[in-house]
Amino acid sequence: MSLIECRQLTRTYRRGDQEITPLRDLDLDIEAGTFLALMGPSGSGKTTLLNLLAGIDRPTSGSLVVDGREIHHLSRGALAAWRASAVGYIFQLYNLVPVLTAYENVELPLLLHRISRKERHRRVAAALDLVGIADRSDHLPRQLSGGQEQRVAIARAIVTDPTLILADEPTGDLDRESAVSIMDLMARLNRDLGRTIVMVTHDPKTTEWCDSVLHLEKGRLAEAEGEATTPMASESNLESEDVR
Amino acid sequence: MSRILSTFPTVWRQIVRAPLRSGLTVAGIAMAIFLFTSVEAMRSGVHEATSASAEDATLIVYRENRFCPFSSKLPQYYGDRIERVEGVSSVVPMQILVSNCRASLDVVTFRGIPADDVERTLSDAAQIVDGDMDTWQKRGDAALVGESMAVRRGVKVGDRFSAAGITVYIAGIVASDRLQDRNVAYVKLPFIQEAMYRGGTGGIVTQFIVTVDDPTSLDTVAASIDAEFARDEHPTSTWPEKAFTGRAARDVLELVNFASWVGWGSLAMVLALIGNAIVLAMRDRIRDHAVLQTLGFTGGLLAWMVLMEGAILGLLGGAVGAIASVALMMVGRFNLTMEGVNIEVAHDPRLAFVGAGIALGLGLLAGVVPALRAARAEISEGLRAV
Ligand SMILES: Nc1ncnc2c1ncn2[C@@H]1O[C@H](COP(=O)(O)OP(=O)(O)OP(=O)(O)O)[C@@H](O)[C@H]1O
Ligand SMILES: [Mg+2]
Repeated sequence: MSLIECRQLTRTYRRGDQEITPLRDLDLDIEAGTFLALMGPSGSGKTTLLNLLAGIDRPTSGSLVVDGREIHHLSRGALAAWRASAVGYIFQLYNLVPVLTAYENVELPLLLHRISRKERHRRVAAALDLVGIADRSDHLPRQLSGGQEQRVAIARAIVTDPTLILADEPTGDLDRESAVSIMDLMARLNRDLGRTIVMVTHDPKTTEWCDSVLHLEKGRLAEAEGEATTPMASESNLESEDVR
Repeated sequence: MSRILSTFPTVWRQIVRAPLRSGLTVAGIAMAIFLFTSVEAMRSGVHEATSASAEDATLIVYRENRFCPFSSKLPQYYGDRIERVEGVSSVVPMQILVSNCRASLDVVTFRGIPADDVERTLSDAAQIVDGDMDTWQKRGDAALVGESMAVRRGVKVGDRFSAAGITVYIAGIVASDRLQDRNVAYVKLPFIQEAMYRGGTGGIVTQFIVTVDDPTSLDTVAASIDAEFARDEHPTSTWPEKAFTGRAARDVLELVNFASWVGWGSLAMVLALIGNAIVLAMRDRIRDHAVLQTLGFTGGLLAWMVLMEGAILGLLGGAVGAIASVALMMVGRFNLTMEGVNIEVAHDPRLAFVGAGIALGLGLLAGVVPALRAARAEISEGLRAV
């Protein structure tokens, strides 16, 4: 059984008389341990799909089963609990809480877990260490570079040991060099720690770190590629072109 | 519950790491609550001085149509006739000497009473907390000074003390449940008469303090006393003590009633200040809240965090303002005197809790609508907000 199973997944937004359906009758299976890239033109429903997978938004119709759980049937409260335990979300613009330090940002999701203060400290320190930013734990977001902020955001996404990591254009706002190191980090989470990752991206270069690539077109799968052609991109290759 | 508590540090950081915004809000709340608490202290003082209670058994016999201790003059022998009026339990003649007859914040009031009547006048409600009664009895110029007056004037046992043209020796300090006792100096009647009517018009007093047997008959006894002297050379006007104070203090009462509007206004200001601070903070945090929800924070938990923020702001500002106000009242021991009666501005530490508590409540109240809004916000909308 796949980790994620979407059946006839549809999301319709209603604004006044207007109806927008960014996602229509989507069937999709994602295996555990995959590093999947989601591509497609702007407005094709990538973020919409990611938000459904994250339990941030709910489908208008269709079913969504993640890790054996029928997400489309969960109540608001149950969804929140599910997000707290099973989902790590990484945003394009990092979305760190500006008045909290790197450490405190990473600590946030753990406040919802019944663990001791000591254990919380251990996990935050481990997460910050993993993303290589332990020495900046007392810094506020505005004192960090974009790449560093994204590392903190990744630490925050993985600190609860989630089943699923979702990333919406995680390198979209970064320079080439930072993008490469963030992609290296994501690939490491996938390969070494076995995390399942679904990443939205506009940049074909970043898909070279992924196992497979899906293309969305007007709310449907345009084509399903198999394994990515090049398993790993070389850094020199990336540096010669604009990642953005 | 444990989740709510575990988010406390985050809420606290949101407050202290926006020091300018929070500081201005807290300062505003503090000023408003200072105002409110001070007005309350005045109100409660006036209330204590003028509200009759069922146990009140004291009448004041004054010269009719006279409103100042300087002009109220009654023969001392009236005391014997008053004592014979039905329902009267005891009579103490009293000569009052004030340093200023108009309303003022720092008037010294001397009350001259016969040496034999001092125990009865002080009664159970008052005790000598420093010095002793023997000295008072022995010395002609001795005074028993009320505690509030002693604090305000900075005098202690053994000091000599001059006001209103006389100099007294302080034999004791009196603590009392009755506010009039706390704000006067008791001296011997002959001493004060001597000082006031040099050359001898002893036998004149300002008023009589009458205690009645039955508090419910206060008005009847008052009427009987006035009837007794109606056709006399010096007709009297007899009042229950609280009513007497209320009459003397009518201007102050009006002022205080007006001031209470200022008090209510300051509470409205607190509500507006906290509401404004929170609404602005919420506008800045639409995205933060969406992110927190993405991390698994429930709408309810966010609502609690918003309420907590309002409550903390309210409590901080309220505590600062209320404590400052009560501290000022305790150090200053303000006392309004007019026409020889005292109204003490309350200096009760409990008022600080009232002020801070009300600010806390208003903080919670101001947070209710923003909290509900935060709880109901759609995450995906919030994430799209810039
Ligand atoms: N909450 C919403 N209310 C109304 N319309 C929405 C909402 N969320 C998304 N949409 C609409 O759905 C469509 C798809 O949006 P979505 O954000 O999924 O696109 P995307 O593929 O992520 O695009 P981009 O690459 O620009 O991020 C857009 O037309 C968008 O305007
Ligand atoms: Mg998008």
